Amino acid sequence: MRKLFVFLLLSTCFFAAFALAAQTLVVAYMGDPIWFNPCAKTDDYGAAINRNIFDQLVAQDVNYDLVPQLATSWEVSEDGKEYTFYLRKGVKWHDGEPFTSRDVKYTLESIVTNKGSAYNNVAMITEVVCPDDYTAVVKLQDPYAPFIPFLAWYGTQIMPAHLYEGTDWNDNPANQKPVGTGPFKFVEWVKGDHVTLTKNEEYWGEGPYVDRLIFKIIPDPNTALQAFLNGEADIDQNRPGFNTLSILKMNPEVNVVINPSPSRYYLGFNLTDPARPTTNLKVRQAISCAINKQAIVDKVLGGFGGIGEYFYTPAIPWAVDTNVKAALYDPAKADKLLDEAGYTRGNDGWRFALDLLYFQGADWTDMAAVIKENLEKVGIKVNLGEYEIATWIEKVLNAHNYDIALLNGFQGPDPANLTMRVATGGSLNIMGYSNEVVDWNLKEAAKVSDIELRKPYYYAAQAQLAADAPFVPLAEVSYIYIFKTYVEGMDIENPGKIGTGSYALTKLNF
Amino acid sequence: MSSFARYIIRRSLSIVPMVLLIIALNFFIIHLAPGNPAQLISGLEQPSVEVVKALEEQYGLDKPLVLQLGLYYKNIFQGNLGYSFIYGTSVNGLIAERIGATILLTVSAAVIAFALGTLIAVLVGRRKTRILDSIFSVLSYVFYAMPSFWLALVMILLFSSTFKLFPTSGMFNVRASYEGWAKIWDILHHLFLPCLTLALIQIPVFFRVTRSSIDQVNQDEYITTFTAIGLPRKKIYRKYVLKNAILPGITIFGLTLGYSIAGAALVEIVFAWPGMGRLMLDAVFRRDYNLLLGIYFVMAVCICVAILLTDVVYAFVDPRIRYQ
Repeated sequence: MRKLFVFLLLSTCFFAAFALAAQTLVVAYMGDPIWFNPCAKTDDYGAAINRNIFDQLVAQDVNYDLVPQLATSWEVSEDGKEYTFYLRKGVKWHDGEPFTSRDVKYTLESIVTNKGSAYNNVAMITEVVCPDDYTAVVKLQDPYAPFIPFLAWYGTQIMPAHLYEGTDWNDNPANQKPVGTGPFKFVEWVKGDHVTLTKNEEYWGEGPYVDRLIFKIIPDPNTALQAFLNGEADIDQNRPGFNTLSILKMNPEVNVVINPSPSRYYLGFNLTDPARPTTNLKVRQAISCAINKQAIVDKVLGGFGGIGEYFYTPAIPWAVDTNVKAALYDPAKADKLLDEAGYTRGNDGWRFALDLLYFQGADWTDMAAVIKENLEKVGIKVNLGEYEIATWIEKVLNAHNYDIALLNGFQGPDPANLTMRVATGGSLNIMGYSNEVVDWNLKEAAKVSDIELRKPYYYAAQAQLAADAPFVPLAEVSYIYIFKTYVEGMDIENPGKIGTGSYALTKLNF
Repeated sequence: MSSFARYIIRRSLSIVPMVLLIIALNFFIIHLAPGNPAQLISGLEQPSVEVVKALEEQYGLDKPLVLQLGLYYKNIFQGNLGYSFIYGTSVNGLIAERIGATILLTVSAAVIAFALGTLIAVLVGRRKTRILDSIFSVLSYVFYAMPSFWLALVMILLFSSTFKLFPTSGMFNVRASYEGWAKIWDILHHLFLPCLTLALIQIPVFFRVTRSSIDQVNQDEYITTFTAIGLPRKKIYRKYVLKNAILPGITIFGLTLGYSIAGAALVEIVFAWPGMGRLMLDAVFRRDYNLLLGIYFVMAVCICVAILLTDVVYAFVDPRIRYQ
């Protein structure tokens, strides 16, 4: 009898503890943020945390559609140079101050003057005028059609003017203890260990439902996965290698949800140095034919994502021309093209050698191995060069000291993003590609706001890219969500309601 | 002034020029590595030439290298390690926040490794039991050769995932947020696996050094003499062999402590232990020159001080070297 009593008491304690714990949502997370100034620097690890502390005027949902946040609606003037935002009323900063158009003015103008991370996307702003507390008029130098989609991307969270105005935004105490308008308030940041947020009771939108949101920093993806499986975390945001995902999918306690993303893997050719074989169009076409993209998707990406077929991401359906396709896998044709280009096989079987440069990491190493095998079959010797990001940037982007290089990256939220990747002098144009037709079409497309009118320009640019083949689209990137089945109301389940990365609607339902 | 005090002062003073030289070497080596911190901060999603330029000006990266080094020396003499490019706060603060966790981990592991490694060597060395000796020798080779990050993952799979005895990672139970004694207990609970992993990898070093040193002393002529005049073996071993055989272990222990500031980086990463090693690797990959120089400075000072302390302890334990 006594034993039974003890057992009951213990189990009650256990369930009481469980009920308490149920209020806390723990996310296994990749790394420390830089700080909590959401606009000053590009901060991959801070971005997802900042999305829960701050709001934007307008955000993107998981389908890359717009969701109004601090702006309830907006209008564009006839000439496309004036955007009027009507702001949400009754929104309070976490310290109790009211949110007004002054905050919008401060944030957007500071990104321009201080050269924040979103500088490229808002540099055309000349000034922000505030006719009243709840209206902000943004004036642009020239019409810029993708302004709203880029404003909804990164580095544009609205910051509190009452704390930042008149200070150096790089040296403000609020960078360490942020004050936002978002669903969660900042509690503490134990560097290297965790960031704790708490429920904002006065949040203007629906939610939040959990009392505490904790980002637990676990840099090693293998450890993060074990911590997640052992119940130390409810969501695993530090994705393990693709090869473990198929096993994880079979676990009945775990949801693995795949969301296509406008990010894609591609192989760029060095076009800057005529001595390199890659400046020969036939060589580039041959390499496009020689690479088995399906093998990359199957062997490297665990079957996720799909091959790169087009010259723009299919995740932005209106802008991609699905009739313009990259070359299909055909090693015999590759051999023929290389012979035609004058690169016949030598006595040792090799035609020439290329340096392939790529980033560190299991996925990249595997991808480079597949490409090496493919190219060596058609007589191109491949020297592998695996570099950490800093060195890769130096060799590939700055010095153009390579033949072929692998990279990926976000190509949304608007096709205007192609400009920096393929236009002459584009900041991420590793190929050194320069074509008048492409440049002109990308420039004209950004001037008009009607999607139907913009489409022909992007189609023309893609046709030219297909003809010149400055890069080979390899595979489409998928974003993978990994969470326990008792976690409900993720952003992936609420398109149209909340922005990507927001945990405002997340509940724990044991 | 006694010769011993003079010895210590002379040795302490020699540290200063050494550390200054180390700073200059580090400074140039770091700048030789390809990569530009401003470009890394600007990112690869939407790099912008204007942003990179603004960052370079802000961090003084546009100035000549020698001038940058001069400024750095000036700051160091004022006790200021500069401003981290990535984190936008003082390097002093960043190091202070992390150094505690690292010292807790590495010092506890070094003490355990020193104690256990030496103890095993002493026990195995006294009794000439071949089997025990062979087992420990083989084991020591196995653990010494084991990559720390691999052993760390095996520990997690075994003790956290299979037996559910210890948490996988981190320093705190974030769901519970304990206070007081419960918090200390919680930290020790989290410390166990990373500490054991580090200790397991370091034990073989202490074991092998002490073991071979025992063998060497055993062959010394005075030991043969003691045996010949009929002193009991036990007494010879305890009084004469051990005292001499432990000396090399002390050197290794001192060096281990010196390197401990950033030497456990891989174990810290796998166990998500919020220490300095992780901070250092992060600074390397992101070319945060000031943070990196700051960590190297602290490391250099620690190693120099550890070597000095080792020498002092040595001088105490072994009076022969004091007067040289």
